Amino acid sequence: MLQFLQFTLIRAAMALFTLFMVSLIVFTLMELVPGNCAERYLAFKNTQGASITVEDIAAEERRLGLDRPFLVRWGDWVSDVFLRGEFGDSCILRLDINDLLGDKFLISLGICLTALLLAYLIAVPVGIIAASSRNAVLNGTLRFVSYLGLAMPNFLLALIIMLVSTVMFGDSLTGLFSNEFRDAEWSWARVQDFLSRAWLPVFILGWSATAFALQTVRALMLDENDKLYVTAARARGLYGRRLLWRYPARHALGPIVNSLGFDLNRVFNELPIVAAILTLTEAGALLLDALAKSNDQQLAGAIIFLLTASIVTLNFVTDIALAAVDPRVRKSVVGG
Amino acid sequence: MTQTDAVETRRKEAYFTASQGQLIWARFRRNRSAMIGGAVLILLVFMGLFAPFLSPYDPTVAGRNPDYTNGAPQIPRFCDDQGCSARPFIYGVTRERSIETNFRWVTEIDTDDRRYLQVFVEGDSYRMLGIRGDIHLFGVDEGKIHLFGTDAAGKDIFSRTLHAINTSLAVGTLGVLISFVMALVIGGIAGYFGGVIDGVVQMITDAVRTVPAIPLFMAMAAFVPDTWSAETRFFFISIILGLIGWPTLARRVRTHLLVERNQEYVLAARLAGARPGHVIRRHLLPSFTSYIIVDLVISFPYMVLSETALSFIGLGLKDPVNSLGVMLQNTTSADVLLNYQWYFIPVLFFMALVMAFVFVGDGLRDAADPYGERG
Repeated sequence: MLQFLQFTLIRAAMALFTLFMVSLIVFTLMELVPGNCAERYLAFKNTQGASITVEDIAAEERRLGLDRPFLVRWGDWVSDVFLRGEFGDSCILRLDINDLLGDKFLISLGICLTALLLAYLIAVPVGIIAASSRNAVLNGTLRFVSYLGLAMPNFLLALIIMLVSTVMFGDSLTGLFSNEFRDAEWSWARVQDFLSRAWLPVFILGWSATAFALQTVRALMLDENDKLYVTAARARGLYGRRLLWRYPARHALGPIVNSLGFDLNRVFNELPIVAAILTLTEAGALLLDALAKSNDQQLAGAIIFLLTASIVTLNFVTDIALAAVDPRVRKSVVGG
Repeated sequence: MTQTDAVETRRKEAYFTASQGQLIWARFRRNRSAMIGGAVLILLVFMGLFAPFLSPYDPTVAGRNPDYTNGAPQIPRFCDDQGCSARPFIYGVTRERSIETNFRWVTEIDTDDRRYLQVFVEGDSYRMLGIRGDIHLFGVDEGKIHLFGTDAAGKDIFSRTLHAINTSLAVGTLGVLISFVMALVIGGIAGYFGGVIDGVVQMITDAVRTVPAIPLFMAMAAFVPDTWSAETRFFFISIILGLIGWPTLARRVRTHLLVERNQEYVLAARLAGARPGHVIRRHLLPSFTSYIIVDLVISFPYMVLSETALSFIGLGLKDPVNSLGVMLQNTTSADVLLNYQWYFIPVLFFMALVMAFVFVGDGLRDAADPYGERG
């Protein structure tokens, strides 16, 4: 128990350290964008007819605290984020970022996690069967399909589905809500409406995630299948599904649980593009908008930070879950 | 000794004295899907390298065909109702837009107007591998030929596709090289020194690895001012790809060095009086060059995919430059989906390129693994 507690604490400290590092990376990126908030505010005033000078900008910078050194401002930002969960204001939209994001980030996270779940629900059984089958045709086909999942761009799949649904059903299936629910409060009807549309991004994101997961499961199972304990179990007369699930599958699933965080990373990578095509109103599309159109560094920074934070959290949770199940993991405190 | 025995002995001797490269090649050759992937890959690289010569027209606006915008692919044929010809030909077209056609361009194919295919025709001038030229592999005697059709500006999609392969491969190569150098240095330091330095480097690497790459790419690419020229943009994008691609590779280099530096042969070399530089150069590096090459090939499709994703959302390369991402971006409108499906032809090339790389990388990985041989 003590060992487990120690493991948890060290892992938590490491997760926090990673978050700090990430916040530094994100903050540096935000700073690198040409122009700062003071210039943005005054540029807005300029369009209203007021004439502004260099001194005005300097005064505004002082008012916003932008004349302080880089590390001090980073510390400020980090403590706001960590202690109060505040990301500050977006200087372009002049709105509080928390209000702006609202439940959009949670929706994105939900979509991505569901896609990941779907991917593993398919990949684990299929991967295990593929690894233990000696059927060359089956294996070759699976390999080809999963490579195709990698090579076939997500947006192409999205476009094809959109085309088919437009031609066949007369509904383009885009967006996350139908018109009457777009700005409504959360209610049961809204949830139903959401679910009737969210399956499409979940399916598209899950498609390539499944391809990837299938490869991993199959490779790990192949490694385990040749080990001595499996042969020993087979010699004792175990066979078929009972053998697979009780021996090699258990060992193969450990590394898979461990890499869930990086799988989530991969799904997040694809989210903005899919969101842009399906015109989803969630954080991925907002991020793309902030970066490609409005150059809104505060909003973009907040979203990237939140995405990374959820990956770090998932990594932490899977680590702890594995340690709870497998005592060997607890001993290797730092190793990974 | 009989002759078969002699052959057998020679075969065994060849096996025992074979260099690592020969062994890898021998194993690689037996993998059919990897060999097919390799052939496709070589073909695509060849197409990319000699794009200016192989493509009939300039891929930019300079080579556009204003009389055939959004034109369908023209497939050369040998025979039609009026008989056959040894030289393939296409039909001439006339286009009309008037009140009768509801002000849309309507293309009429004129089957009486045969345009014969020519080889080595003079056309737009180009530079290829530093050589100037204006001879193109093929063309038609009259008008222009568009194997894959044309886009909205009348640019030849076949020519654009070939040049796009070139650009995407170049961006990928540059990105892989940059990340390779960074990975060697960072992974090398962590692996060679070990201990505390290794721990710190690992933590930083893990932090960089946790940030989703595409949003990070997007954030960095968003700094590119619109005023930059196509070439500067191109280099910047490659550098970004390289800067973010290094952690995975660095981890592999580090793991490998950590294992190898404790091997007996390194100890033996050290005991024999070899200096560290000599040990690294003559013993450590050759022990894993093949693995590094495999890793590079495996990471290549991800570079191409990232470039495509960036260009696709409009943050990467932009229109005068032809990259696969730019070509894919053109396919997104509903108009294209419903009316101009030939815009999707470059997508097939893109998929072929990625698949070829993945199969070759897979085959190489299996071939480079000395314990992978079974039976």
